[in-house]
Amino acid sequence: MVFDVFFLQQVINGLSIGCVYALMAIGFTLIFGVLNVVNFAHGEVYTIGAFVGLMVITALAPPLLAVVPLVLAVGAASGVGLERIAFRPFRRFTDEASQKSRAMREATLLSSLAVSIVTREIMMHIFGGDMQGIPSGYLLQQPVAIGPIMVASGSLVIFATSAVMLGALQFLLYRTQTGLGIRAVSNNQLGARYVGINTDRTIVTTFAVGSMLGATAGILVGLYDGAISPHMGFAPGVKAFVAMVMGGLSSIPGAVACALLLGVSESIATEFLSSGWKDLITYSLLVITLVFFPQGLFGHGRERA
Amino acid sequence: MRKHTVLGTALGAVLGAMLAATAGATAVQAADREIVIGYQAPLSGDRSQYGEMFRNAAQIKLEEFNASGKLAGAKVAITFEDSKDDPKEARNIAHKFLDNSKVVGVIGDFSSTVSMAAGEIYAAEKMPQLSQTASHPDFTKLSPWQFRNITTQAFEGPYNADWIIAAGMKTAAVIYIQNDWGISALDGFVSGFKAKGGKITATEAFNPGNRDFRSILTKVARQKPDVIYLAMFYEEGAAFAQQREQLGIKIPLYGTSSLYSPKLIELGRESVEGLHLATTFTPDNPDPAVQTFVKEYAARFKTEPGMFAAQAYDAVGIMLDAVAKAGPSVTRESLRDALAATTGYPGVTGATSFDPVTREPAKALAKMTVKDGRFQVVTGP
Repeated sequence: MVFDVFFLQQVINGLSIGCVYALMAIGFTLIFGVLNVVNFAHGEVYTIGAFVGLMVITALAPPLLAVVPLVLAVGAASGVGLERIAFRPFRRFTDEASQKSRAMREATLLSSLAVSIVTREIMMHIFGGDMQGIPSGYLLQQPVAIGPIMVASGSLVIFATSAVMLGALQFLLYRTQTGLGIRAVSNNQLGARYVGINTDRTIVTTFAVGSMLGATAGILVGLYDGAISPHMGFAPGVKAFVAMVMGGLSSIPGAVACALLLGVSESIATEFLSSGWKDLITYSLLVITLVFFPQGLFGHGRERA
Repeated sequence: MRKHTVLGTALGAVLGAMLAATAGATAVQAADREIVIGYQAPLSGDRSQYGEMFRNAAQIKLEEFNASGKLAGAKVAITFEDSKDDPKEARNIAHKFLDNSKVVGVIGDFSSTVSMAAGEIYAAEKMPQLSQTASHPDFTKLSPWQFRNITTQAFEGPYNADWIIAAGMKTAAVIYIQNDWGISALDGFVSGFKAKGGKITATEAFNPGNRDFRSILTKVARQKPDVIYLAMFYEEGAAFAQQREQLGIKIPLYGTSSLYSPKLIELGRESVEGLHLATTFTPDNPDPAVQTFVKEYAARFKTEPGMFAAQAYDAVGIMLDAVAKAGPSVTRESLRDALAATTGYPGVTGATSFDPVTREPAKALAKMTVKDGRFQVVTGP
């Protein structure tokens, strides 16, 4: 008997892990959508969010909801800092040829990778490589029974946060002046500049928003996992990247849908094969998507210079 | 003619002075001869916490040894290299140690995979290598130059299997990390468990770095085994136990000695209550050598040493005792022979002797369980 309550539990497990990937993929995709470059340091912003959250919790023991604004602020600050260090220096040349040049894009990709490695090593020196436990009052691990299905409270919080983030971001992008600016810059940076949009400010805003979401994801997943380490951003970062590519690179709802799809596929793969196969399933899905849907599952066929 | 004699005398005097100076320098060198032991371990990357423990423990042992005066006429130094738990880095380090003529022996690496990658080079170039933790059965089969002071999974697996069977449990699911060590732990346990009439319901591998075990737990729970056997490290063990509790699964947990660390309880809290494992080291052991080590480690590093720190402390001790036995003018060859002759080294992880043929260590294991938030020795089955 395969399609029983255990199978349903397996789908729920998959959605829980998918939500973790989605939470990270949202901020990641936002930044990619605007700049058209991969921000490899997103995983470190996520880790910074987790560590700052833990430091606040251990130092002040505030109510959980009070931790969130602080993590958001730190996320925004690290986004702005990251943009200043790794991305702005490459935007000095504003002519069309430089903006479309491949070399320029690859340079920012590598500079963000460099920032990510430096940040991770600094965190390792400060906090050590060991896993840090979360004080038990803050853990989001209480089992919640929904009929015969068991879910951790953290899964529900992460699911709700993903939904709120996605909704808020869609509102920001499609209902506000800032969002209009972000979409204009994402569509054509030079064009946006010509019609009087302050592209630098728009890009900084995008980084701030994307990194706020990333940092929040970090602390939430930390509370859900029960432990954080300077390396925690890497594995979900890779999965979020795959979700983003499968979702069509700049579609945020697409990235979320693909993140959930990845989570459920991994979980069901465990049921039929073995857990050791689950990364293979993820990358096979990526390859299949790229072969049959070169624009991603939710892509718009936008030109990529 | 006279001129020549004067010149000759002057020259002779200068030469004599130079000779005397050189002789003096040689004498000074002999007194302060430096013998270097190479230590390769993951000091950065996501296994760096183990490397840090090894280095901490090694420093304590080295200072004790140099202060003890066991080796007259020489000082021993340990040079650390960071292998990042990466076989490629380990090979580079192996070449670096081989090129340094002062290095007479090497301790490390952490994982079996990385230890064996470096071990192939040490085997070919004749450098004695002692790993504190490589427990894959093939490690000591590389060449007569490999040693370890940890019990292998071929020994520990059947030991745990006997323990589980004796407790009246007949079916087991095995969850293991997908690497050389994990596979050897799986093999050791499964063969021992089957030999005693036990039945394995499932063997599930997971990739290193994985922190989500809910889907494995759900799959295993369907088969309702009597026990789940964990072949993994403490970070994963703590996450596994927590998620087991969240999913409301009550199947008891047994595991390999690699789970033994105060961190397991710190991270896993109530969820690891009742977890069983066998280990060579317990900080509660009243043996004065163990208590001295535990106190010194806690005083310096503000944390209680776990099995990994104890393994490194003993590995360094075994290596240094062999250096002392081989004398102040120790070579790689004489150090290997001295290591091979180790019998009854009194360490904090019990007495260690190397089998003259296989160079495998003989050690005793203690049965432990987590009770009331700490590891306690189990007496009975």
